[in-house]
Amino acid sequence: MAVNLSGAVTNKINHLQNEKIVIETKNLNFYYTPEKAALKNINIQIPEKKVTAFIGPSGCGKSTLLRTFNRMNDLILGTSLNGEVLIDGNNIFHPEVHLEDLRKKVGMVFQKSNPFPMSIKENVIFGPQVNGESKQSVLDGILESALVQADLWREVKDRLNESALDLSGGQQQRLCIARALANKPDIILMDEPASALDPISTGKIEETIEELRNNYTVVIVTHNMQQAARVSDYTAFMMMGELIEFNDTNTLFTTPNKPLTEEYITGRFG
Amino acid sequence: MKEKSISNFRKKAKRTDKIAKGIISLGGFGVILSISAILLFLFYESFPLSFSASITEYLGWNASTKKVLLAGIDRYNEIEYLLDENGKVEFYRIKDQKIFQTDSIILAENEKIISADKGSLNDEIFAVGTNTGRIITAQIKMTPFYSRDERVIKASFAVKAIYSTTDSSTLPEPIYKIQYSKNEEASEYWAWLNNRNELRLRIYDADEEKFYNYNITDQLGNSKTSNFTISTQGDHLIAGTEGGELFWFDLSDIEDVQLKSNWRSSKNTITSLAFLIGDNSLVVGDAKGFLQLWFPVRSSNNEFRFKKIHDFRKHKNEITDIIVSPRNRTFLSIDSAGELHLNYSTTSNTEIEFKPFEYAIKTAAFSPKSDALILLDSKNRVGQFIVDNEHPEVSFETLFGKAWYEGYETPEFVWQSTGGSDEFEPKFSLIPLIFGTLKGTLYAMLFSIPLAILAAIYVSQFAPKKFARIIKPTIEIMAALPSVVIGFLAGLYFSPLFEKHLVTIFIAFIALPLFFLLSVFCWRLIPEAKRRRLPSGADMLFVIPFLIFSFLVAVLLANTVELFFFSGNISQWLYDTLNIHYDQRNSFVVGFALGFAVIPIIFTISEDALSNVPYSLTSASLALGASPWQTVKKIILPAAAGGIFSAVMLGLGRAIGETMIVLMATGNTPIMNLSPFNGFRAMSANIAVEIPEAPVDGTLYRVLFLTAFLLFVFTFLINGVAALIGDRLRKKYARF
Repeated sequence: MAVNLSGAVTNKINHLQNEKIVIETKNLNFYYTPEKAALKNINIQIPEKKVTAFIGPSGCGKSTLLRTFNRMNDLILGTSLNGEVLIDGNNIFHPEVHLEDLRKKVGMVFQKSNPFPMSIKENVIFGPQVNGESKQSVLDGILESALVQADLWREVKDRLNESALDLSGGQQQRLCIARALANKPDIILMDEPASALDPISTGKIEETIEELRNNYTVVIVTHNMQQAARVSDYTAFMMMGELIEFNDTNTLFTTPNKPLTEEYITGRFG
Repeated sequence: MKEKSISNFRKKAKRTDKIAKGIISLGGFGVILSISAILLFLFYESFPLSFSASITEYLGWNASTKKVLLAGIDRYNEIEYLLDENGKVEFYRIKDQKIFQTDSIILAENEKIISADKGSLNDEIFAVGTNTGRIITAQIKMTPFYSRDERVIKASFAVKAIYSTTDSSTLPEPIYKIQYSKNEEASEYWAWLNNRNELRLRIYDADEEKFYNYNITDQLGNSKTSNFTISTQGDHLIAGTEGGELFWFDLSDIEDVQLKSNWRSSKNTITSLAFLIGDNSLVVGDAKGFLQLWFPVRSSNNEFRFKKIHDFRKHKNEITDIIVSPRNRTFLSIDSAGELHLNYSTTSNTEIEFKPFEYAIKTAAFSPKSDALILLDSKNRVGQFIVDNEHPEVSFETLFGKAWYEGYETPEFVWQSTGGSDEFEPKFSLIPLIFGTLKGTLYAMLFSIPLAILAAIYVSQFAPKKFARIIKPTIEIMAALPSVVIGFLAGLYFSPLFEKHLVTIFIAFIALPLFFLLSVFCWRLIPEAKRRRLPSGADMLFVIPFLIFSFLVAVLLANTVELFFFSGNISQWLYDTLNIHYDQRNSFVVGFALGFAVIPIIFTISEDALSNVPYSLTSASLALGASPWQTVKKIILPAAAGGIFSAVMLGLGRAIGETMIVLMATGNTPIMNLSPFNGFRAMSANIAVEIPEAPVDGTLYRVLFLTAFLLFVFTFLINGVAALIGDRLRKKYARF
């Protein structure tokens, strides 16, 4: 397990040596337009079954980085990329890789809850269905376990056939988490999952993440540093498309190596 | 100071707001008002079709003559004449009921006129029979003259012919009943029943200037002849008996009068017989008051036989007379109690039932325009009536149901508004037109819905953006193409082309999808890594040669296939084997042309709806591992269903209302079959076609307004439903 820390990030993360690495980027550059790189030479290793948070000021590239992990950036016209993203050691940009398989493996929860205009049940089983599961008993099992994991089962078990749009904002977001979980992914990407929610709903989402950390690799982008401190094991601080510092959350928030990091977490900018 | 200027500014802004609001509301209400006004006007113009007839008496007086046998009125309803048993003809001026002229038929001493009949629906020519066995034919002319801008009707009377049925040596044979007809060729037919109950016939052949005499009593069986009638053109004589039997004589061959057939029409004595205008429909009245309509229908052995078509409302008493309108298929049936029914043959409606006088009716006559009626009762009271029966040929049943028209073997939906002669009966069934509209719409939709929606899906979801930016406006420009140009091209260019290359098109229909699938298969053969490196849109370019190739295959194969399967000529083959007649301007061409007009509407609105599906839903679906096609199928199409539905309905509305294309690209034959190789006549095209034939306020004019009204309601309903359902479906997704 080679730890290749070059470029912007030079600090050694000793803690990672005990971890199994799931996602690894190598010299990753990403361009929305050919002139300006949105990600500059990113090298990061994300450990398995841990919660990793990306923090940084708006436009620093943390969401972009997150979205390269399931190749959602492919959908945006005119983007280009070089470098590698390895998941379980395989480059996900290899031509042989099937996008659908990748995305089944790497689930995603978006900033704004986006349940389909269908029933709660149909929302949750959508993923397994499009991935070829059609047995009703299996789907029912997935439905319950996903909703239980997302901490939503108690609230919706009697109204599974009602429209998902009738749920509250927080419930909708947890439904989206359940929907991602139904695919039985290894990795869950969360792009500011609580930014549009009230504190109580946010708390519930954080509780959910807390429960997920045992079984899933969670990568979360957040603006909220307290949230990052609360939920994550590791934190990466990014700025201007560069990875400034990546460390275990405790270290990063208490004794950051870089002055920029310190300035950011102490609120001098951002 | 400053505060004041601010408050002034606010006031001004408020005022502008108010004015703007006023103008906008005015515009909105104006639109609603004008649409309602149009709808109301269309309804107002077609509404008189539903009016029932009315007959009102406006004058009545006592005639000075006794025993009037015949009456008539001029075409301006200004003068009338009465003929009495003494041969006296009195002309009355109607407005003051004064006799202004008297003429007479010179009769011998003790000679009385005992029967009379008019010989034409258009001229006042008549024959009378006397108790001494003489038949006198005479003519009355009532011609208008204009002196100093004033119309004066002058009357003239002339005896045309006198014929004695018996020699002076034998006993006179009183003529109890006479029937007379003078046809357009000036040939004349007299039929009479004498005191020995003999039915005799005398014919004058105007061509040969010869007379023929027949006694047809022997052919009438044992039953006593009770009534008879000659058709106005003199081709048929029908005699009825006391036993309820009818005998049909063919008089078309003057030298050889033949009994053509006989049949029983009722159990009762036939008391009244008359041919309606056109000499086809025979009205039969009997002693019990039953009234029937018969006309000849082609039977299985290809011969015409009279068939009972309608029963009219029954009279309570014996039917004594049937008065036929010289204008249309309206007739008046009169019973012995003085009760009158105004009937219309095709609808079998009895429009009016009334009893004008206390006593029985002796004589009755329609005016030449059928808008007035003279009635005389047995007490010599003369009544002058106005008949208001503008649109008897139209009823709900004839407009929307099957009607049994003369000459047809069964009741049918027929649209045939004008014909060659005055005797033609207009046939106004709207069903073939509605059917035509729906047929055209159906074919247009079959062609346009799949193309437009699939194109919209491709452009909104799969096509490279720069490609989509060209396609969309291009298709939208198609909508700006005047429909008359499309119709012109379709009718004059494409339909001959279609006919010539029918087989090519059929093969292309099969080959195109096959080659498309083949191209997809070949595309998949290229390794994915290579495919990925190709610029976006390359897949489209890749398909094009395959499509061209499929077309080439169709062209190359066409001749061989036509020769091999369709014995060299497909339209002939269709006719021979499937009995399908191939019209050059057919529904196929219309579907194609009309589809061309409809595609831009469906495409544009569908594309908008598909593009407007929130991106968050698409990305959620893709992030869950759904393929782009799964995403389209399961997320985007359902979410855009409202918009696509609206698009289809708007396209439907356009197809229904479209005029020029259906007018030019179909043969406009109002037939009812679904075959793609035949044309049709749509409601909209019908209005355009028939306008020159429709005199203002006539029946056709009003029927056309009714068609317009229906068309308006159709499109209004469709657009309304589209808006309602589309709105409801859209609301489901409004939260995104």
